[in-house]
Amino acid sequence: MDGKDKKQTGAEEMFADWMKSATDFLGGLTKMQPGWPDMFGSTADTPKGPAQKSKKAWDSGSKYFQALFSSFSNPENLSGVFKGMDAVPDFMTSITQQTWDGFLELQKQWMERASKAGQQTKAYNFDDIDQDTFKTIREIYENEFQKFLKIPALGLNRFHQEKINRLIDKYTLFQTSLAEFLYVFSIPLEKASAVMQENIEQMAEQGDINHDFKDYYNMWVKVLEGHYMTLLKSSEYTQVMDNTIKSLVQYREAKNDLLCDVLQQQFPVPTNRDMDELYKEIYLLKKKVKELSRQVNSDQ
Amino acid sequence: MNKPKIAVDLILNKIAESTEKVKVRAQKASEVLLSSLETDLAVTPHEIVYQEDRVSLKYYKPEKVKHKFPLLLVYALINRETMLDLQPGRSVVETFLKNGIEVYMVDWGYPTRKDQFVTIDDHVNGYMDNIVDFIRKKHDIPHVNLMGICMGGAFSVMYSALHPEKIKNLVTTVTPTNFDTDTGLLHIWMKNTQAFMMGESYGNMPGDLMNLGFLLLNPARLIIDKYVGFFENIDNKDFVENFVRMEKWIFDSPDIPAATFKQFIEDCYQKNLLIQSKMELGGKRVDLKNITMPLLNFYGKFDHLVPPEACELLTKHVGSKDTEDICLNTGHIGIYVSSKCQELFAPKVAAWLKERESDEKKAKPDPAKKKVLGKKKANINKTSGLVKNTLSKSSSNKKISAKTVK
Repeated sequence: MDGKDKKQTGAEEMFADWMKSATDFLGGLTKMQPGWPDMFGSTADTPKGPAQKSKKAWDSGSKYFQALFSSFSNPENLSGVFKGMDAVPDFMTSITQQTWDGFLELQKQWMERASKAGQQTKAYNFDDIDQDTFKTIREIYENEFQKFLKIPALGLNRFHQEKINRLIDKYTLFQTSLAEFLYVFSIPLEKASAVMQENIEQMAEQGDINHDFKDYYNMWVKVLEGHYMTLLKSSEYTQVMDNTIKSLVQYREAKNDLLCDVLQQQFPVPTNRDMDELYKEIYLLKKKVKELSRQVNSDQ
Repeated sequence: MNKPKIAVDLILNKIAESTEKVKVRAQKASEVLLSSLETDLAVTPHEIVYQEDRVSLKYYKPEKVKHKFPLLLVYALINRETMLDLQPGRSVVETFLKNGIEVYMVDWGYPTRKDQFVTIDDHVNGYMDNIVDFIRKKHDIPHVNLMGICMGGAFSVMYSALHPEKIKNLVTTVTPTNFDTDTGLLHIWMKNTQAFMMGESYGNMPGDLMNLGFLLLNPARLIIDKYVGFFENIDNKDFVENFVRMEKWIFDSPDIPAATFKQFIEDCYQKNLLIQSKMELGGKRVDLKNITMPLLNFYGKFDHLVPPEACELLTKHVGSKDTEDICLNTGHIGIYVSSKCQELFAPKVAAWLKERESDEKKAKPDPAKKKVLGKKKANINKTSGLVKNTLSKSSSNKKISAKTVK
């Protein structure tokens, strides 16, 4: 809608009349006030009580509105107001357009980033998918997604936000490590099954099928135990186990850090952090007392 | 390709038989499981004679005291000391009492979060020293006999090195002192992981996590086969009772104080300080050469937690001239609970202590005579199951090398 083509419709004058009557009403209301301080027993000379303070606030407020309304009641000013109001839809449209364009651009960037996810990591040979899947997932996470959780937080809750982000990050890393650990731990089961299949095939070809299933079970357990012994002694397994332990510890640390903050602020309960400090003090005190009592006993 | 000859009819018959057996077993099993089962542990009567923080001291009195010096048993912080008094007829404590030994046993209790700062020094120079002093005072004796089990054995070695004047004889059983070995999985894992971080994270090292670690040492046997065996014998009341009793013991795992856990891993597993006499407790060096009292060292040939390599070096590093290594054909727990070892282990300890009972004023070895000491074969009592062992002996000086007891 173009404000320039607008014609005078008489609304300004009508609005000006309404403004004038509203101003007169406010003025009358203000004049009624001298009665109200007396209700609270305070005098006008001593504007110290709450009633006097309220009266003062009312006076200044009503004078402000009177000034505003009387300026509005001037038709020239009113015309300006209406023109300004005509500009609002244009302004809103412009703002919305800008916001939407910005969002779409950001989304486009994200989509591009997501489509490139993994391209920064080394080109793994996915023929060997079992070995490298977890490593790939972790690298993709660390290179492509972890950075979003490390965006600096702002404002009053920035510390809490940082702690929440850290918790999400550590939880994801722990889940990845745990999944890898469980996968590695399941490998001997897979291998033992394959070996058993081969053995049974050989026995079948030789017509040497055993009738007692307990024998098969014993054979399977023995094979499984052998595979586990090989796995559990390997440096690869130890490394995966160590990663799982470290990531579990880091996740727990992040969780406790956030939990302690929430508990401390929301509930009147001591946290483990508080108790640990207290326990340490008690421990050191007890040690000191025992040492001193030993010295006293040896002196006697 | 020749068609394999498979006796399908035989296989089907076997399946039918098995189904029938399972049905009968299930019926008996319900009778067994719903009946009253005797699964209590540690039923030998005792009294608590000393208490400090979470630690208490159990006292077992024999009907007739035949030994002048009581025996203090120090168990590990892992699992509980009830292993030594599993059930009547399978109890190390019971055997000691039958041999007239007064037994004291440390119960480390259940550490809570407030115990997380308690170190090895606090256990050895604190609780243990106070307990030893309590026993010495009570019996009016200068020293006591000390027997350590696993980690408790390591504590006993440390204690004997720091307070040799308070220990008359030292017995170590499945005690790790040399950690520089890759024979046991536990050694590999502890050396190459930061497991102690879990202790710090949880306040203490949770017993359940420790148990999980032990199960992972041999998943095929400990997670699968063990329970398959249980279901195969579920209709046997004695078997079920024994199984449940062991199950109760093995999963009764107190947490380990974080500081102790960390120190044990770092100083022992990772730096191997103990056997090198480089470990320090309370500002004092744990010098194994200070261990001059007689030493009897037991370990299990098939121990997957503390392999022989972790135990057998101790006797070579101590200052004592009266040492003996005994390797039993069993695992980590078998020494205390297997029927065969019931006859070999505790009676041997009792006899060994008795031999040294009268040896109160032991002459110190004469360095001049050391050179002329000869070797001679010792006749070993066959009924005890001990095989020949090499003996280097004088009136006050003997070293017995390892022998395998079958």
